[in-house]
Amino acid sequence: MSYEIPHRWIVTFRYPLEPLPPPKELRGRPIIDPNLCIGCGACVRACPPNAITEEIDISKGIKVVKIFYGRCIFCGRCWEVCPEGAIRLSNEFELATPNKDDLIQYVVLPLHKCVNCGKPTEFTERQVVRVLTMIQELPIERREELRSKILLCRECKASFLSKPMELRGSEVYEKVKA
Amino acid sequence: MVNFWVRRSEGIEREELLRLIDQDIAGLVKEKRVATKNFVVYVVDRDKVVDVVKKLLEYEYTRLSVIAGNDERFFRRDFSLTYIIAFDKQDLYIGIRTYVPPHDLKVKSLAKEVRAAWWHERENRDLYGFEFEGLDDPRKLVLPEYWPENVHPWRKDYPYNKPVADWREGQVDYKPIKEDKIDADVVAFGPYHLVNDEPIHWRLYVKGEVIVDVEHRGFHNWRGIEKIAEGRLTYNQIPFIAERICGICGYTHACAYCQAVESIGRIDIPDRAKYIRTVMLEIERIESHLLWIGIACHILGFDTGFMHSWKIREHIMHLAEVLTGNRKTYGMNLVGGVRRDILGDRLRKAFDYLRFMRAEYRELYNMLISNTIIAKRTRDVGILPRDKAISYGVVGPVARAAGLRIDVRKDHPYAAYKELDFRVPVYSESDVLARTLVRLDEVFESFDIIEQALDRLPRGPILADVGEIPPNSEGVGYVEAPRGEDVHYVRTGLYNKVQRWRVRAPSYANVPSVKEMLIGYRIADAPIIYASVDPCLACTERCIVVKAVDNGRTYSWNQLVELSRKISRRMGL
Repeated sequence: MSYEIPHRWIVTFRYPLEPLPPPKELRGRPIIDPNLCIGCGACVRACPPNAITEEIDISKGIKVVKIFYGRCIFCGRCWEVCPEGAIRLSNEFELATPNKDDLIQYVVLPLHKCVNCGKPTEFTERQVVRVLTMIQELPIERREELRSKILLCRECKASFLSKPMELRGSEVYEKVKA
Repeated sequence: MVNFWVRRSEGIEREELLRLIDQDIAGLVKEKRVATKNFVVYVVDRDKVVDVVKKLLEYEYTRLSVIAGNDERFFRRDFSLTYIIAFDKQDLYIGIRTYVPPHDLKVKSLAKEVRAAWWHERENRDLYGFEFEGLDDPRKLVLPEYWPENVHPWRKDYPYNKPVADWREGQVDYKPIKEDKIDADVVAFGPYHLVNDEPIHWRLYVKGEVIVDVEHRGFHNWRGIEKIAEGRLTYNQIPFIAERICGICGYTHACAYCQAVESIGRIDIPDRAKYIRTVMLEIERIESHLLWIGIACHILGFDTGFMHSWKIREHIMHLAEVLTGNRKTYGMNLVGGVRRDILGDRLRKAFDYLRFMRAEYRELYNMLISNTIIAKRTRDVGILPRDKAISYGVVGPVARAAGLRIDVRKDHPYAAYKELDFRVPVYSESDVLARTLVRLDEVFESFDIIEQALDRLPRGPILADVGEIPPNSEGVGYVEAPRGEDVHYVRTGLYNKVQRWRVRAPSYANVPSVKEMLIGYRIADAPIIYASVDPCLACTERCIVVKAVDNGRTYSWNQLVELSRKISRRMGL
């Protein structure tokens, strides 16, 4: 029995006993692909009911992006705003569970460590890589200037503003690669 | 006294009418502001405001639509009251604003002459602390009985997440005002009643079987959804909570809110987005009317009609799911357009579905109008006289059944309705049968509108670029919901947030008039009379429905209250 074609006489289904495939357009449970997520937090800002939250644990050096389906309204805003295409709207709608923890998906991302002092910064490693690829299109002087700043933590950046740069951008980049 | 609708206004252009109004209230107005292209605000003194509103209501096809209070102490140290009057034949909304200093919040009451003001005044008294001189109804409207007298949650110094439970000392029960004065028996109809899906309390005073007087107490699930939006949501998050105001006509709320913000930001949404909005609004209308037809049949004991109507409704919900991704709460709107396009084979599928459903619906229609029981139960029952209908400012099918030719789709064209061809069914009997027939006829028109709109769907983008929304501006958004005119008054604030958002759902205008419909009829007719206005209390009370888990135990009232408070505390509400 298909749900797709309206039938003149048969209108009910043996639903829990047999599967009822929803139409492919259904906005079901959003799933974050941990391999693609960079932890930028665009979905966190866009989420109307605050179902997606982010937490930074500096001591452990991780950022946790958490999506709680108990609050989710399945609007799909996160999917729209994700710059990496890491969020996928699935077709799942049967979310009933006796355990509330089943309704949470965590994505744990390592934080970038400052190349100068070695302390974790507020942004993730993947964010840094993403920005480094983004600035490839800029003119070279601008690119080098940015590159040297991107890899530093806030304090180091502030201290370097008053001093001449100790590290050249390219050296820093080599350091990170190693 | 107010002489409702004595001055002709049909055929007068908007500019001409504004000139006439300027002459009428020349000496009384302090300031005139043109907020948006069809929303004009006049600032008047507080002792003149009642006279000005009465004067404007003398024009034909006017309604007192909203009285929106506002706490403007942050800007100008005053509270304000805005009486928004709709001019239906000129596509115009006029706001009469008066500023009231916070130490002396006295305003003259309008409720005795203009019944539409009745609920609005009580709500503003509860939420802002205005004192309406001459308002003879001492009861609270939206707040519960135990709420302290001098705490007004809509004021800006009251945080949106402040717990209420601490305030509660000693239970205060609801005191009916008429019970001692009337020599009649009392029949309590609600808050929980077989035919009510949502809680409302009608206290029917009966002599024998005939209802002689009625008292209403509602707002049992009022939760202050507007305050959440004012406190912490940004412009593009509000459409989603607006959609959750109501489970049946939620999309109209999202649309009305978006239109209000778009009118403030002078945003022209793309044509394709307009058409898609129209399609979704009409799908929602069909869905809502079929739901109502089913419920009405069920109340009249005609369960076959209920089953058939909900069978067709299931198909339209599926069509909505295909087009938007969800059966209800479509989540289609953003400020500036819509989020999902109607592409590819979905268009063809929609036509197939519509053809199928139209045939099914015609069958149901023929079955219903040829049923003598329905006609006998509904004819000459629950009559709302025309003058009462005008005074209460009823909207939608209730107004159209009373012979008032008002429909926001025709009168204040929004979305793509200006370019589409449709008919507005009007009946003059004003009984339950007329209201039923209006809705039955409207479903056919909605099928027509959807087919036309899908047929003419223009090409192009679906979301406009939205620049900055100007702060401290105001606008009105209006949509013809399945139940009537749905008005959202929005005033923008700083930091990308709204400063005031007032939702006036259609049932807010219609439900007070049930009082007039019930008096003089029998108890057995009370359920269908009440249901005939298609009451949507979720809209009226701007609540979010929360379902509790039942573990098979029975709780007393106090235990339930304790439990819910405990849960609220745990959730940090």
